Amino acid sequence: MFEVIEHTADIGFRVTAPGPGELFARAAEALVALGFETEPIEEREVCELAATGWDWESLLVNWLSEVLYVLDARRLLLKRVEVTQISPEAVSGRGYGEPWNAERHRAKLIIKGVTYHQLVVEQRPEGWYAQVILDT
Amino acid sequence: MQIIALDEHRFRIPRDERRGMRTDVIIYASKALIDQIRKDQSLEQAMNVATLPGIVGSSLAMPDIHQGYGFPIGGVAAMDVETGVVSPGGVGFDINCGVRLMRTNLTADEVGPRLREVVNQLFRDIPSGTGSEGPIRLSNAQLDEVLVQGARWAVKHGYGLEHDAEFAEERGAMPGADPDKVSSKAKERGRPQLGTLGAGNHFLEVQRVEQIHDEEAARAMGLRLNQITVLIHCGSRGLGHQVCTDYLAEMTAAMKRYNITLPDRQLACVPIQSPEGQAYIAAMAASANFAWANRQVLMHFVRGSLEKLFGRDVRVDLVYDVAHNIAKEETHTVDGQKRRVLVHRKGATRAFPPGHRDIPAAYRAIGQPVLIPGSMGTASWVLVGTERAMQETFGSVCHGAGRLLSRTAARKGRNAREIQERLEQQGILVRAETRDGILEEVPEAYKDVDEVIEVVHAAGLARKVARMRPMAVVKG
Repeated sequence: MFEVIEHTADIGFRVTAPGPGELFARAAEALVALGFETEPIEEREVCELAATGWDWESLLVNWLSEVLYVLDARRLLLKRVEVTQISPEAVSGRGYGEPWNAERHRAKLIIKGVTYHQLVVEQRPEGWYAQVILDT
Repeated sequence: MQIIALDEHRFRIPRDERRGMRTDVIIYASKALIDQIRKDQSLEQAMNVATLPGIVGSSLAMPDIHQGYGFPIGGVAAMDVETGVVSPGGVGFDINCGVRLMRTNLTADEVGPRLREVVNQLFRDIPSGTGSEGPIRLSNAQLDEVLVQGARWAVKHGYGLEHDAEFAEERGAMPGADPDKVSSKAKERGRPQLGTLGAGNHFLEVQRVEQIHDEEAARAMGLRLNQITVLIHCGSRGLGHQVCTDYLAEMTAAMKRYNITLPDRQLACVPIQSPEGQAYIAAMAASANFAWANRQVLMHFVRGSLEKLFGRDVRVDLVYDVAHNIAKEETHTVDGQKRRVLVHRKGATRAFPPGHRDIPAAYRAIGQPVLIPGSMGTASWVLVGTERAMQETFGSVCHGAGRLLSRTAARKGRNAREIQERLEQQGILVRAETRDGILEEVPEAYKDVDEVIEVVHAAGLARKVARMRPMAVVKG
């Protein structure tokens, strides 16, 4: 689950999770859910996802940009994302979903990119927290 | 934050060294607009831009300014080409998002009774919506040609008439584009999207000219009262979005090497003369050219739609095509000295004065046409650039009405059908791919475009030429 952030021209989300792997997985799912109705997406295909960075912030931006590329270029809608390996420099995992079918899948929002604006990734006493603003 | 009124339409935020500002912020607005602008973080963002290395003159805010990410939308910043930086965030994800205005030989009286047919035909012929694909299938080599030749590629391949590209900024193809600096991911995203409108705030509008404010300029542009014009607002689609993403990642990593520290990471930048800076500029130019080709192909589709309905005698000619998300190397006089600067226009339009060699010969006596779309259901404007804009704003003005409400706030308590019906009562038909497209772009979500135009006109940055009223809108 995630919380939507209000922003004049753009939109963002906040996610929390017990660990960084779940945080990155939930953030990826939040990105898909802002762009599409996720209810009708079925888990028929698996795709490998990976990104690198030099700190948690850059890693999250690069990871979400990879998910956006899968949605927009490979036209694969992801219902569920899991992270198998994560460090502040590299993340890898898998996305489960199906090819975009205009008859069954409804787009809600065009997401152009993932920004560093007001970006937060941090470990708090109650768990991991991220805040991301997207350009739409 | 201290805001000093310089006159009725100019405000200044003095340089604050504690914040690392290298220069002032100058805001063009009315008192009423300043009160709106202060509600979001756009002025803090304009102050952050003032911290960038090599900034020349002031960090400029246009009357349509609103909060973006990193740079404000409606901001202009010029950087010295030798000592300054280039920032992908100062251009935005949608590189060369822009506006193309076409005039037709049809009148509102001819089109009015067939308006529903017109909007339905355009909706069928113009691919729109998130992830929409166009009918053009490009090979790798062809896509590389598009990235260099821009609108001229489209014309050469039958998507337009010989003179179409003549009336676009840069004649539809910016020099310096290098397809090798565009990643394979960006090419993969963009390849199926040539000739598509996209979604979000992008649209195509059928309009009628309802006011002429400057007869001579209107005549030069072939505009007259009651004439039908068509306006397209869109950009470089997924290709440009990916180019911005790629170079943001590269620059945030490279900045450490150049000892650049910033108040907001989204301002990520590198020296213009660095390898990363030069690579971005070449990739940005390629993306800009993709956008010009895109708007040219869309124009060709519009021509086809109108010919189907009104016969082969229909004429659709380009008035002008402007970019409002771009960075361009230009010569400007600053403190009496000629300087080469890279002008970042993020949600801002170039507005060159009469006599400038970079505008088409047909417009050289009147100045460059400046195209300012309103929101869905409100007026759009044509203006011309002035010498004053050249002296004060690096030849730049606003780009639109400017957003006031977030998308979520725009939806709240509103119903797409009601909005559609209300617009229909005003004589405006809307066809959209999704209900969200209508809800989020409801006219109340934007500032009053007339007030924004009044500011740039009264401040002398651009002169009013014509006001167009929408009749039909196609949205993604």
